[in-house]
Amino acid sequence: MSDDTFDAIVVGAGPAGSACAYTLAKEGRSVLLLDRGNSAGAKNVSGGRLYTYALELVEPGLYERAPLQRKIVREQIMLMNDRGATTVDYFDPGFGEAVPQSYSVIRAALDEWFAGEAEAQGAMVAPGVVVDGLIEENGRIVGIRTGEDEMRADVVVAADGVNSLLGQKAGLFPDVKASAVGVGVKETIELPDELISARFGVKEGEGAARVAIGCTEGISGGGFLYTNKGSISLGIVFNPEQAGRQTRHIQDIFQDYKMHPAIHALIEGGTSVEYGAHLVPEKGYHGIPKQLSRDGFVVVGDAAQFGINTGLIIRGMDLAIVSGLAAAKAIIAAKQPADVGTLYRQQLEELLLIANQQAYQNFHGIFEISRIFREYPALANDAMQFLFRVDGKKPKPMLKGLLDIVKRNVSFGKLLGDGWKIYRHI
Amino acid sequence: MPKFLVLYKWTLDEQDIKVKSDDLSLDASRAKGKISDFDRNAIEEAAAIVEKQGGSVEALSYGTPTVKQSLKDVLSRGVDKAYWIGDASAETADAAVTAKVLAAAIRKIGPYDFILTGEGSSDQFNQQTAPRLAALLGLPCLSFVHKLEVDGAKASVARKLADCTELATVTGPAVISVLSDINKPRIPGLKQVLGAAKKPSEEIALGSLGLAAEDLQPKASRRSVKGFVMTRKNVIYKDAPADAVAKLVSSLAGEGLI
Repeated sequence: MSDDTFDAIVVGAGPAGSACAYTLAKEGRSVLLLDRGNSAGAKNVSGGRLYTYALELVEPGLYERAPLQRKIVREQIMLMNDRGATTVDYFDPGFGEAVPQSYSVIRAALDEWFAGEAEAQGAMVAPGVVVDGLIEENGRIVGIRTGEDEMRADVVVAADGVNSLLGQKAGLFPDVKASAVGVGVKETIELPDELISARFGVKEGEGAARVAIGCTEGISGGGFLYTNKGSISLGIVFNPEQAGRQTRHIQDIFQDYKMHPAIHALIEGGTSVEYGAHLVPEKGYHGIPKQLSRDGFVVVGDAAQFGINTGLIIRGMDLAIVSGLAAAKAIIAAKQPADVGTLYRQQLEELLLIANQQAYQNFHGIFEISRIFREYPALANDAMQFLFRVDGKKPKPMLKGLLDIVKRNVSFGKLLGDGWKIYRHI
Repeated sequence: MPKFLVLYKWTLDEQDIKVKSDDLSLDASRAKGKISDFDRNAIEEAAAIVEKQGGSVEALSYGTPTVKQSLKDVLSRGVDKAYWIGDASAETADAAVTAKVLAAAIRKIGPYDFILTGEGSSDQFNQQTAPRLAALLGLPCLSFVHKLEVDGAKASVARKLADCTELATVTGPAVISVLSDINKPRIPGLKQVLGAAKKPSEEIALGSLGLAAEDLQPKASRRSVKGFVMTRKNVIYKDAPADAVAKLVSSLAGEGLI
């Protein structure tokens, strides 16, 4: 290796980039990990959950060193209307036996840790560096440009996030389309740790993850909530195209969500310490670009649009880590840079990332049913109100009462049609 | 060829320090380290002069053991070699202790033609280190410098004073403290960041400097640090303009402000 040449340059020190750099460095490869933030994670606003299996794939036991927040033992889904909410709460303290299945994480801390782990393995980490472009020679990508500097490598790994400028510059895919992404807005709200445990009915170190439907004024999207140590990550993700046609501002819709009695009681007395917005890949399997590599170049993580949203589970970080690992394994196995693309595909298959994406490949179609975001959550709450109402008056017959509620919210024709559509997409 | 030494302080980034609303105490748990702002100007000035006319720049810092984290940053800013003294005593050191430690270290690693530092640190801003150090080393001290030209062993400076500018010359060795408007510190490029990993750094053990225990004993000790909050009355007069103005005037008069 000459001074300015690396086996790999990884652009973006998020979970995908750091997993890739960590694995390469551990195998003794020379790797340069770049991030535009002043420290890895500094530019990140993801407030979320990490499924532990992905870190286990990188190295068993690695998760034990990670700055994780709370082990998720309550999975909650909340259907909201403007007056109340119906919440399904699945409590399972043993989720994931020996290795807990998932943890809430704060990415600013997680990313800095993971990049540090990669550095400890021998990766060269340079934060505060913006990559302006790629160096191309004879149809091959041979390095990157930053300011006046050029740096060369056998392979450039683009882990530069959902709006991957490097992938676009490499000609793998066009600019992000509004229909293919969701816009997430998030606040971090600080509260005493014991109070969070009490409000969510969990023990210290354990926590809840919640998705909320019916809080987006009918826009395709939903709310989320994760409990951290001493804070709550609260936000909504919505379809930017539909939001653009709305008269109401997103911040107002988010404010309504925060002030909804079912949410407000959870965050009351807290202090908002951070807020931000970010894009998330929304199309699942069908959003993944046909081409994920070129000679000397691969895309991983959000940049490759890996993501799964079933309405109940939202996955991104785990797929990012797995894809970073897949790219590293491909680079290690490749006899020449030209082989990396094919080997990367194989690794994505072998590590079951593609199988996971395919299993939910049509779920995105379900979210085209607009009634899921307003009428059905309202229906659920009306039905609950009817079932639980006791006021001394003569109750309606049960079946008729329920049918009336259905009719009030949605026609039977639409109900049947939507049922069929959901069945088909699952 | 001038030989520069730049003194810098590794401080907490005040941007990430929060003032707790209940007792105004500071929460620095999320704050990361940074090179004190004005010291960054001092480093830039020495590095830019050396890049243009030759010479050498070394850097020296005295701080708690976390000061070691500063090496990558300081070495990516055009510094040839960094010395660091990491010791818990820095936590409570006042400007007198700091100056004694730095002076002892400079006697060990020096001499230098010009010793540069920031006018004051981002956290304490005592503005004492440079003059105290100069006194201990028996050197001239030029403070409030916002222009610096070096020609061999001679330096010409412009000092920015309250309502005038003073031009002065000095023949090194000398201590010079600079203001923030002297230059715009660089954002290190990738090659400078990578180059930093290959540059030398050397730890100087505090114990090796031959200082007596009393030298490290601060005479001034900090009792507390609290956030400062301006309390506002937040009164809004919503009456008709004439009435509102009258009320505002009488309110200000009542406070003795007009």
